[in-house]
Amino acid sequence: MKKPTIKGNSIHIPSSQEYLSDVDSFLEGMLRGYGVMEETIADIAISVTEIVNNSIIHGNRSDLDKEVTVSIERTGPVIEIVIGDEGNGFDLTAVQNPVDEENLMREVGRGIFIVRSLMDSVKFEFLPGKGTRVTLSKKIS
Amino acid sequence: MKLSNYEKDGVAVLEPKGKIMGGPDATVLHEKLHEYIEKGQKKVVVDMAKVEWMNSTGLGILISGLTTLRNNQGELKLANVTGKIQSLLTITKLITVFEAFDSVEEAVKSF
Repeated sequence: MKKPTIKGNSIHIPSSQEYLSDVDSFLEGMLRGYGVMEETIADIAISVTEIVNNSIIHGNRSDLDKEVTVSIERTGPVIEIVIGDEGNGFDLTAVQNPVDEENLMREVGRGIFIVRSLMDSVKFEFLPGKGTRVTLSKKIS
Repeated sequence: MKLSNYEKDGVAVLEPKGKIMGGPDATVLHEKLHEYIEKGQKKVVVDMAKVEWMNSTGLGILISGLTTLRNNQGELKLANVTGKIQSLLTITKLITVFEAFDSVEEAVKSF
């Protein structure tokens, strides 16, 4: 069975939430190496685990033969993380606002809203036949 | 995430520790919560003191517990909500949904 693999500044995991903690450990280790403050590390870790959960469940539909890749890079004061899956993407316009009164008690549907609140920029790219790529960036002080 | 639990004055207290991000660990919290509810427990406090952070998976588990309890004339209350968790509850407006207390004792007494 496939296992998580780390290559340079990237981690590749099979599509199972069992490996979320591997992503978090890799990510937090890299961020500490970049000298990022704990408060910001938490914001980034929350955001990345949100997107990785979406990639595993909705993107790759928990197919263990498909991978989720997380790459991290620091360019000056900006941390950029790219999360890629092998799925067919989704309709961003169909995502409901979780803070609307009628959605407040829903158990799901807050992930992307939280990511947009915690990160400076969030970019979704749906690449036909190649999966979805989500780029998160945050300026560190 | 690790989970411990105990009962205090007839109230079930759950004490998650670490990060709630999804996967097998988060399932443990969901299952323990619903195990108490299925046994007829109507008063539950989740002590957030040792939770470093959580994502929407954790929030979903708390909402699921709260909704199921309210449907059974029960209630889920939070204790020791600070820092990152407080900020997430504010961002998502769930701060308006949960009753939160500064200590487990206060949360237990409030029932």
